[in-house]
Amino acid sequence: MENVSAFGPSERPTRQTPAGPKRRGPNLHRFANPGRFLRLSGAILPWLTVIGIAVTAFGLTWGLFFSPPDWQQGDTVRIMYVHVPAAWLASAGYFSLAVCAVLSLVWRHPLADLAAQEIGPVGAVFTAICLATGSLWGKPMWGAWWVWDARLTSVLVLFFLYLGQIALIRAFDDPQRGYRAAAILALIGSVNLPIIKFSVDWWNTLHQPASITLTGAPTIAPAILWPLLYSAIGYTLVFAAIVLARLRAAVMERRVRTLLLARADHAASGAGAVAA
Amino acid sequence: MTHLPYIAASYAIGIVLPSGFGIAAWLRASAARRRLLAIDPRAQAREAARRGRDGGDGP
Amino acid sequence: MTRKRRRLVLLLACGIGVGSATAIALTAFSDNLVFFKAPSDLTRDPPPPGRVFRLGGLVQAGSLERTTEGRTPIATFRVTDGRATVRVTYAGILPDLFREGQGTVALGTLQPDGTFRASEVLAKHDETYMPRDVADALKKSGHWHPNAGPPPPASKWPTESAIEAARTKAGG
Repeated sequence: MENVSAFGPSERPTRQTPAGPKRRGPNLHRFANPGRFLRLSGAILPWLTVIGIAVTAFGLTWGLFFSPPDWQQGDTVRIMYVHVPAAWLASAGYFSLAVCAVLSLVWRHPLADLAAQEIGPVGAVFTAICLATGSLWGKPMWGAWWVWDARLTSVLVLFFLYLGQIALIRAFDDPQRGYRAAAILALIGSVNLPIIKFSVDWWNTLHQPASITLTGAPTIAPAILWPLLYSAIGYTLVFAAIVLARLRAAVMERRVRTLLLARADHAASGAGAVAA
Repeated sequence: MTHLPYIAASYAIGIVLPSGFGIAAWLRASAARRRLLAIDPRAQAREAARRGRDGGDGP
Repeated sequence: MTRKRRRLVLLLACGIGVGSATAIALTAFSDNLVFFKAPSDLTRDPPPPGRVFRLGGLVQAGSLERTTEGRTPIATFRVTDGRATVRVTYAGILPDLFREGQGTVALGTLQPDGTFRASEVLAKHDETYMPRDVADALKKSGHWHPNAGPPPPASKWPTESAIEAARTKAGG
């Protein structure tokens, strides 16, 4: 059958059942097998959780109690150890949504849709943390809770993009339609990521430019930079652990639904007693 | 500390929200696992294999 | 062309389309995306009288004067971007971070006499973060004065151990 529209609704991904025939093609589909995914993620998750919590606690404790106050901001600079990792994960989370969208739209990877569904709320929470802590930092330092400069506004737009994705992916009775719509939204929304990153360089903003760049030396003293790196790595691991736990739950919930549906079909077709 | 309320509020937000989401995810995963174990022979086999490997003291 | 390949190409084409549309839109609206105008923007493109806008730049060293009118603190200072300066008056409490040599953004109107009357003043800090002893060491060594502008690049900063060594030498 020749399908003219590449994203046409007639082209549904065929579900891969674990018992199905071995599929040739890119190795990406290796993780599409739910059983293998659950086994692998089940082995990784406890480690990810423990290490993530430990590194975050280490970084935050160092930042809150043992790092020096900034020469002009004083102790308020300690808000950075929460704000900057949250900001990084807000962007990184949306980037991973965009990656899932490509995997879903081009390769029809079944796990990518579930991943997008589970990453959305977590990314939105970290964006909210970024906005809230930024506000709490802005009031005492800048003198304003909020300003409509390009950096703050583009992060607020990112938050609304997350909310849109969360609503859209759950909006349809047929989940496949929701997955597709949300994937397209995630891809279109990803143009906001370079805008967030470069807003402080392209336009006059109240928000200061990046302190850590790929090209130059960081403009942060090592005593402040180290705890920041630890809390950023720790929060990243925590983010990954939360997403992985949610994804495991989603995979198992889907399997439960499939089994119950199959059972109901079986019973309805009058094939005899319900198979126990 | 200067501006202590702002710092305390920031850390509270940065700790409470991820913890809450983490705990919710963990509860959801364990509930899904219980339901799956009740009906899926394949999951039961996987669980049995895991327990066997761990020496039978799984959660 | 396989379906996968075709979907990939279509996606890339859409991406290029959305990306360039955004780039064009942002370039077109660039003037409205700036949070503040610099003093030299005012001489090049003066705003209409009475228009409320934001003025941003560095507080010029030695220009800050504080007085009080009744119980209201009055601050006057000059905002500069290196090419032009504008005199600003503000009645109210300045933010903690406000100081000479620091960035600032003020909301207000340009008066007929060329001064800027601000109704709100925000402090804009730069992207450098350093402990007090590093800042003190930089100031003492004459590499930098906070009122004169941003600090030197981080590679020129003294390390904690160098500061410690200098302190023990001074003490002993």
